[in-house]
This record gives sequence, structure tokens and C-alpha cells, in this order.
Amino acid sequence: MHNQVIGKPISRVDGRAKVTGKAKYAAEFTAPDLLHGVVVSSTITKGRITHIDTGDALALDGVVKVFTHQNRPKLAWFDMSYKDLDAPPGSPFRPLHNDRIKYNGQPVALVVAETFEQARYAASLVKIEYAQEPHETDLQHHLDTARKPASGLASLLKPPPPKARGNFDKAFTEAPVQLSTGYVHGFEHHNPMELFSSTVVYGKDGKLTIYDKTQGAPNSQFYVSQVFNIPFRDVRVVSPYVGGGFGSGLRPQYQLFLAVMAARELKQSVRVSLTRQQMFTFGHRPATVQHIDLGAQPDGTLDALRHAATAETSRFEDYIEVVVNWSGALYKAPNAQFDYNVVPLDQYTPLDMRAPGGVTGMSAIECAMDELSYKLGMDPLELRLKNYTEEDPNEKRPFSSKQLRACYQQAAERFGWTKRSPEPRSMREGHTLIGWGMATGVWDANQLPARAEAVLTVNGKLRVSSATADIGTGTYTIMTQIAADTLGLPLEDVLFRLGDTDMPLAPFQGGSLTAGTVGSAVKIVCEDLGKELLKLARKMPNSPFAKAKFDDVFFVEKQMRLKADPSVRIDLQTLVDQNGGRAIRTTATSMTNSLKQGKYTRYAHSAVFVEVQVDEDLGTVKVTRAVTAVAAGRILNPKTARSQIIGGMVWGISKALEEETVMDHRYGRFMNHNLAEYHVPVCADIHELDVLFVEEHDDVVNPLGVKGVGEIGIVGMPAAIANAIFHATGKRVHELPITLDKLM
Amino acid sequence: MQIQVTVNGKTRKSEVEDRTLLVHYLRDQLHLTGTHVGCDTSSCGACTVHVDGVAVKSCTLLAAQADGCAVTTIEGMAIQDSPTTSQLHPLQEGFKECHGLQCGFCTPGMIMTAADLLKHNPNPSEAEIREALEGNICRCTGYHNIVKAIQWAATHSTKPEPNQQEEPVVADEHLFTNDVTTGEVVETH
Amino acid sequence: MITYPFQYKRAGSISEAVALLAEGGKALSGGHSLIPSMKLRLNAPDALVDVGRIAELKGIRLDGNELVIGAGSTHGDIASSGLVQQHVPMFAEGAGHIGDPAVRNRGTIGGSLAHADPSADWPAMVLAADATIVVEGPSGSRSIKATDFFTSMFETALAADELITEVRVPVENGARMTYQKFSQPASRYAIVGCAVVKSADGKVRVAFSGVSDTPFRDTAVEEQLNSGQSATSVASGVSVMSDHYASEEYRRHLANVFLKRALNAVA
Repeated sequence: MHNQVIGKPISRVDGRAKVTGKAKYAAEFTAPDLLHGVVVSSTITKGRITHIDTGDALALDGVVKVFTHQNRPKLAWFDMSYKDLDAPPGSPFRPLHNDRIKYNGQPVALVVAETFEQARYAASLVKIEYAQEPHETDLQHHLDTARKPASGLASLLKPPPPKARGNFDKAFTEAPVQLSTGYVHGFEHHNPMELFSSTVVYGKDGKLTIYDKTQGAPNSQFYVSQVFNIPFRDVRVVSPYVGGGFGSGLRPQYQLFLAVMAARELKQSVRVSLTRQQMFTFGHRPATVQHIDLGAQPDGTLDALRHAATAETSRFEDYIEVVVNWSGALYKAPNAQFDYNVVPLDQYTPLDMRAPGGVTGMSAIECAMDELSYKLGMDPLELRLKNYTEEDPNEKRPFSSKQLRACYQQAAERFGWTKRSPEPRSMREGHTLIGWGMATGVWDANQLPARAEAVLTVNGKLRVSSATADIGTGTYTIMTQIAADTLGLPLEDVLFRLGDTDMPLAPFQGGSLTAGTVGSAVKIVCEDLGKELLKLARKMPNSPFAKAKFDDVFFVEKQMRLKADPSVRIDLQTLVDQNGGRAIRTTATSMTNSLKQGKYTRYAHSAVFVEVQVDEDLGTVKVTRAVTAVAAGRILNPKTARSQIIGGMVWGISKALEEETVMDHRYGRFMNHNLAEYHVPVCADIHELDVLFVEEHDDVVNPLGVKGVGEIGIVGMPAAIANAIFHATGKRVHELPITLDKLM
Repeated sequence: MQIQVTVNGKTRKSEVEDRTLLVHYLRDQLHLTGTHVGCDTSSCGACTVHVDGVAVKSCTLLAAQADGCAVTTIEGMAIQDSPTTSQLHPLQEGFKECHGLQCGFCTPGMIMTAADLLKHNPNPSEAEIREALEGNICRCTGYHNIVKAIQWAATHSTKPEPNQQEEPVVADEHLFTNDVTTGEVVETH
Repeated sequence: MITYPFQYKRAGSISEAVALLAEGGKALSGGHSLIPSMKLRLNAPDALVDVGRIAELKGIRLDGNELVIGAGSTHGDIASSGLVQQHVPMFAEGAGHIGDPAVRNRGTIGGSLAHADPSADWPAMVLAADATIVVEGPSGSRSIKATDFFTSMFETALAADELITEVRVPVENGARMTYQKFSQPASRYAIVGCAVVKSADGKVRVAFSGVSDTPFRDTAVEEQLNSGQSATSVASGVSVMSDHYASEEYRRHLANVFLKRALNAVA
């Protein structure tokens, strides 16, 4: 009732630091006598190192040491110690562990020198000989080795495929309209603009302060502590600004290990930064092969649905993502079957990348639904509405909220969908073919426990902190809003800090869960602080608040007031003064209400409508117009949220048309491992994009009713684009990205 | 070799290696870390600065080539930027106001490229802005707000050129300190 | 970051540059071809002779019926030059689409020609314009016809101790010309670049960048077109490049499409 700033389009509170160049990223912190480490990468894909000659490198001026598996320090022995908090089942990769080469680009040496130039030159002089062994990197050639992934802790957030329902085989065989189709997606790399770096500041007492590029400082701290057997209190990880993550920073990358190892051995501060090329030598979005069978009645009612996916993983870990579950939750087909398998290959373990699994699986089912709509001669949107479900058929439970129908309606209207001519190739201008397509997006609205601290300083300013991250999403800003709102303070009196393991523990930033997770902790800790303030007010002589309970008061304009009589008020500054000149500090944990939440399926939804123009001579595709309507609960800040969705939509354009890491399987090596060849959109590639937020109330997902917007923007885009391309050209491309050669 | 470069209005004499790139000179020797490195192939534009008034990718220029030149980095763009007084460049204001940034890593390069554009073309169309930014990659924003930020600046650019006399910002050793745990708030009156 | 050490020398004049080049090393102009290739270690000269400040290499002027472009002119200089726009508009058009604005602010025509990247834009344009490349060496200056300049991939008729000083382009009254390219999406180099000059008498010259490992004048197509036939033999007799962006077949297709578009533009 006294909302002031939640829901308002507040400009970023970190904007000033970022437009002036003052925001410091991991490679920009420094220390006296900082040494520079440069990584030498394996040039083979599988085999052993037979010989290492570091003589020429060590002979150079300024070179301090070359670390290899032969001279690395003794470290934790058990695999368990190398498991970070986001590790999938398996044995994590250990840099410089032994002479085995497990994938191309694997770090095989770290050259440490006084300057970056010296280290970089010396790294080029390290000579390594290998005994090569045959490798396998091509998913499509090894589908016969597909197997179920191992299960582990990861399945808490990534459930296995749903149980089969009904009798798929029978229903499919008997269905009057059948569709069997498949889709292949290539590798993709996150490529945040900031290169992975760790600056390890070696303290006099051997304690480490690590400036790391990470989506979760606590995860890096945990990893370093385990691997190097250092108590938590002696490892502080700091990460105030992160130059994009998109999932790549969910697990500690090898530069962290190498920088810490070198700093401890040399008892000196060390920075290790990767090159753009080396950004292609760790986690990636896995290549996948999917198969979908749909059986329907002539009126479009789905009787049978089968969705099977096979993804690649490494030889050492079973990376899992949720690919096939979405289709079962989105459409109520009574007979359904799901399957998810992995193929271990000689490459690095894949890693969550924006809407992991979700954009993969939804791209497949939403293209399949489009194919089916043409078989049925039915409008694609009408087919979705025909099979719309108000209950999650996988779990047979309601959704906590689902305004997808409103998304379809509002986006279709904004786009002008009714003016579509259904026939493919029917909307042409000269040698430009025009196509309209649509698709659905779904993503999780998870909440995890988190902690936060709030302090009302002696001068009445609010300081709130939590060891979460802001990888560009707007966490600083929305947390500031939540805190300001809860205690009735102006934004300029609130400072929210994050990205430091000295702060209360919070999960990594990923999966669109930060707003709900950390936001809940911030709300609760500020409420707790409000309760402390009330206690102080009650203790005052003749206090009008003497009998007030917390529910009887509210906070506004730097004051606490009685709801029953708002003229009864007291300045927060007066209350701090009552505290004997001490700041008031509270710490709180927001827990998830599993009992309540477990009764519901909690998803954000979107509907996407897209127009493409295809140059018939060249096969080039332009996404000229796209409308996304999003139902993601409460929108805390339309400015940051809208930017998240637009950014996600552009990721969708990129996934559909541009982005792919191309492997030369003869060598097991990525060919386009730089930004001159790995195509991501530039400004001129992007045209009209429109975002609608559909009103949605949800009191189940978390105390704030927010679902998060980091992922939902990308999920529906690739399928909508692929469907629009079919509508434009009459050509169904079953591989993403849809590059020009595939359209000619 | 020794070079003399006027950076953000201040003349610097420095010893550099012949092979040192301008971007590393700015970042590692002058600690002007607002100029970022995002690739090795002159593709991303995160390192864009002005040399003698024109936008260049400082990763594709030797520090030696900038000898005798005037260099402006993002740290030199604000008209006034001290803890007490502050007047940002219209482009900086625009990027802040219009949410032309998320992670902020590409932002300095975007602003420097846009400043070069506005110098030649004070009222660019949306298409001209999009063309001018073809050498700058943003992975977060989807570009829409970047275009808006530049349009905003174009309509607010009545302010003077960046102050060349201003001291460059020398990055602190640890700009980010955790004031909650280092004691600001537990202090008493 | 350039991984290995080398020596940097700066030349103040053409003669000083030639003298320094005689000691070895490569000329550094804008550096926008050379420095990226040195970063990738595709090129590793022991020394660089910076010719970027030589005033004699700058400037664009008309000399009789030739437009003379100083080798040190940047792509941006050329794109915005009134003389170029008036007399060889294709050069202004093409220069304005090289790389991105920062690249155009530094990269020079001389540097690009000397580097002779098969996917660069200048080679097709100088070939179709029938330009002459003037170089200076220890034994003085000589002129090389564009058609004799490009010898193979990254190879030219330029000797190691020679420096390109100017590009002379014949000004043809009444000629129509265009440069049309299909850009590589991430780097914007020419997957196919087609330059066409149509003289006042209707005769055409056609040249391609990006198609083969050496840029070339497509004389077979010129003969067809100049004898009133349609162009059926695009890039015949040359080996067409193939990579993961564009297969040989697709490149050939593009060469045909862009020739057609270029011919329409000069019709």
C-alpha cells in the first residue's frame, strides 16, 4: 500500500561506475609486485604429454616459473575435493594433474613472469611433445553409445525426464495425424565480453584475496578452500562487477586454479587472464540431437507426444540439462513418453548457458508443433490454444500462476497475427520473402535459500549486503529498490553490496532465480531490521508505539508510522539515536516454503511472434520484427527487466541464425574460436523488438511474487524464427543455426 | 623505447616495449582500466579510445604509434567528475539514463565510438547509429537501449567538449572495499 | 598482444622509409592488417618501419586525367573525399564499407594493398578501375599495373624493400562504377566482392575479391559482356575458395548474384 520504488523504471544504481570506467572487473584489481600468468593450451585432443621443454621460456628475462604437471605442488587427492557447488556427477577436470590430455585446448602449462608481455612471449616458447591417441568428438557419429546420465545433487534443480503417461505407442499408431521429426543443434560458447581472469592477492599472512570472474563468489571460495586445503576464513573472493556470464561463471574456471596455485607457490600476487581463444576451452552449450513424435486428432487435439534428446558430455562428467520435460508440461497429451541420454566424448564438460536445456527443448517442440499445424491445416496459435493446459500434466498439479493465454492474446494482437496469410511463400516483396512465425517460451521460477545482512548506520543510511552477483542483470538496482521500499527510505539512502564472500551466503546468479531468492532475503532482513526499530520505539518513554506489533506499523519517508493512525510517526534517525549511538544490524535467512511450493509447478511463460525477411538470392535472413509477451510474476523494475528480455531475444536471434562453434572433427578442435569468426549479433543485425509484460499475481513462488526474467526472453525466439523462415520459404531447416547455406 | 603521450589532458613520459599495444600501456602502466580487452582480433571494440580525436581500437595500435599524440579514454570523458562535483559527458548520461548498459564491459568502447560518430554527425538516424557501431559488440543489452542512449545524447549535447585539463582517474588499489565488514557501520559517534 | 619482440622504427620521409626497409622488416602504415596478423603470429617481422606519419604519403589530388591517392590515405579519408566521390565514386562507396569506423580511421589503402588479403575490398576495386600502384625502392620508383600486382594469396609484385607511395586511378568521363560485396557476418570482409566499371562506350571491366585466393579481373566474363552475351562463365578457370561460411558452390552462386547486382547498378 505504500510502495514507492518497486515496479518503477529506476535507472541502474551501478550506471555511473560503468559509464565512467570506474567499475573494476577481475583483471583490473592490482597488487604490489603482481606477477602475470599465461596459459599454454594443448594442441592435441587426446593422448599424453611425452616431453616438455621449458628451457627457452625460463631463459627469458622476467620469467619466474613455468608450472606443468611435472612440477605442480601436491594438492588434494580425491575427486571430491575438486567438485565445486555446481559440479555435475563425475570426476571434475583437474588442471595440470598428470600427463593425460582429455580435450583440445586443455591447459598444460602456466608461465609466470613479471610482465604480461614477457609471460605471453615465454608461453609461446614452451615446447611440448605429445603421443596422440584417436579421439571421438562427433555426437552424430556416436549416438549408438548414448546412455542415461548419472544422477546426483544436480537433479535437485534439474529433474530427470517425467514418467511416461498413458500408452504412447498405441496412441501414436492410432492417431489420424502423425508427425515424426528431429532437430540438431550445434555447440555454442557463452562468450561474455569480459575474458575470464583471476587476480590473486597474496597477503603477508598467506591469506588470499581473490578477484575472480564468477557468477558466485562463494563457489570460488569453496573450490579454492577444498582443492588447496585452506580454511574458508583465509580465502576471500571478491567480484563486484562481472562483464557478463550467461552461465560461464557458474563453475570456477581453470584460470582460478592456476592463479591460486602460482600465488601460493611463489608467495606473491598473481593474475591469470585467458585469451578469447581460450574462452573456447571450457564449458559450452552442448550439441544435441532431438526427436519428436506427435499424434493428433484432425481438430488438433494431441493424443500422443514423445520427446527424446541426446546430448554430448565429457568423458569425465555427466553434464545434465532439462530438455524434454518442458513439452510434457506445456501440452496435455494424455499419452506421452520422454527420454534424455548423453554421449561421452573427448571434450570439456558442457556448462549451463542461458536457458540451458529450456531453449534447446522448447525450440524442438515448438518447431514440431508448427510442423504439425501445417499438416493439420490449422493456425499455429490455434493449435497451441487447443492443447492449452491449466494443470501441469507431468506432475498432475496446478501451476502457481500461468498467464500464458494472455501472453498469446496480447502478443498476437500487438503483432497483428490475424493478418497472416497461412500459405508458405505467400508474403513476398520482390526477391524478398516474408514470413511470420510464433512460438512459446517456458522457464523455471525457482527459489533457493539465501542470506542477507542489513545495517542502519548511525546517520540513518541503510546498508544491505549479500554474497550474490550482478553479472549485468540489475541485481544491485532491484535489491536497492526492495530494501528502500521495505524500510521507506529514498534510494539514495540505501547502498546494496554484493560479490564478496565476507558477506552473508547466497547462491550463484543463474537460472533466473536471483530476484526471487536474494530479493526475498533482502526483504526479510529489512523487515527484521524494522522489527528491531519497533523494539527501540516501544522502549521509548511514553511511546505511542508501546503496544504496537510489527503488523501495526509501516515505513515511509524515513519514518515508522502506525497504520491505524499515520499521524503517529517517528523518524528512523531518532530510533538510531535511541540505540546508544550504535548502528542497528540484522542478519536473516530466507528459506523456501517447500511444503507450499511443492504443490505447484512454478514457471514463467512467454509468447513470441516474429517476422523475417529472407533474401531469395542469398539465403540471408533478417528478423525485422519480434514481439514477446512475458508473464513472469511481479516486475520489480520494468527498465532492467525489459532490457533483460530484449537481450534474451537477441540471444534467440543469435541462436537461430548466427551462433555456432564449428568443430573440425578430424582434429577435435573448434575452428572459429575468436570473435572474428564466431558470429554474435552486432547493432546493425537487430531491428524492431517489442516487449509486453503481462500482469501476473503469484504468492507461491516467493514472498515477492517475482519469477525472474534472465532466461525467459531467449526461450521462444529460435523456434519462432525457424517457423517464420518456413512460412517465408517453405523450407523446414532441422538444424540450428539456420545459416545461409542451409536455405539455398 | 620512450614515448610521450598526452592522456586525458595530462602529458605522460613512459618507457614501453616496442611491441606494447596501446591498450596494455593504458591499462597496465597508467592503470586506466576503463579501457577493456575483449578479444584478440580487433572485433569487439571494448578497447576503443580516441587518438588525436578519432576513435581507434587501442588493441590494434602500438603504444609507439601513439607517441606524441593526444589520447582520450573513458576516464577523460566526464566534464567534471570528482566526489563533490560531477558533470558527465552527455553520452555517459545517456547510457546511464536510457539503460544502455548491463554488465558494463562494452560500455566504455561504445561511448568512445559513439562520441566519434556524434562529432561527425550530430543528429544521426537510428540506421546510422547502428552502422556506426558495427565494430562494437554488446552481449547483454540487445543494443536497443544503446541506440536510445546515443539518440538521447544527440539531443542533449549542448555541453562543451571533454575537459582536457582534468586529471585522469588513477584507479585505486582496491576501489571496492566491503564497508560493511571493514567497520564503517560499527563505528560509534 | 604481440607475443614476440621486434624492433619499432619510425620513418619521417619516403626515402628514410626505403633506407630503413633495406635493413629488413616490414612497413607499418595504419597497422590494421599487419598488427592483427602479428597478434595471431601469421606474420612475424623482426622490425616494423612506421610510415604512418610520412606527410608525402597523405593526400588525394587530381593529376591530369588521373586521381592520385596517397598510399597513407585511410579508408575514412577516401570515403569522405569529395574528389574521390566525384571522380571514382566506387572507391568512396567501397571504402565506406571496410571493417568498421575505427578500422576506417586507421587502415590505409597502401597497407591493405601491400597485405593483399584475398578477401580485402581494395584489390577488386583497383583491378576494375585499372589503377596503377606506384612504389618506391632503393633503385627509385616504378609503377605496377593493378593487374600485375597481385600474384597469389598474400603475395604481390612489391619487393621486400619497396614501399607503396600512391595509387593512380584513371578518371574516365561518363564511366559508371560500383563495388558490391557480401560480407562475412562477424568480420565484414568480403566473402564475395565484385567491382564493375562501365566505360562511356559501354565496355565493362569486372574484378572479384574474396572468390579466389588471388583477386582477379574476370576477363572471360568481360569478353562475354563486351560482346553482348550474358555472363555465364563467372570465375571460370580460377580455383574458388571454400570455408565453413561459404562452400565453393555457394561462393560461385554469390559471385553470380553480385555480378548481376553490380551490372544492374551500372546499367
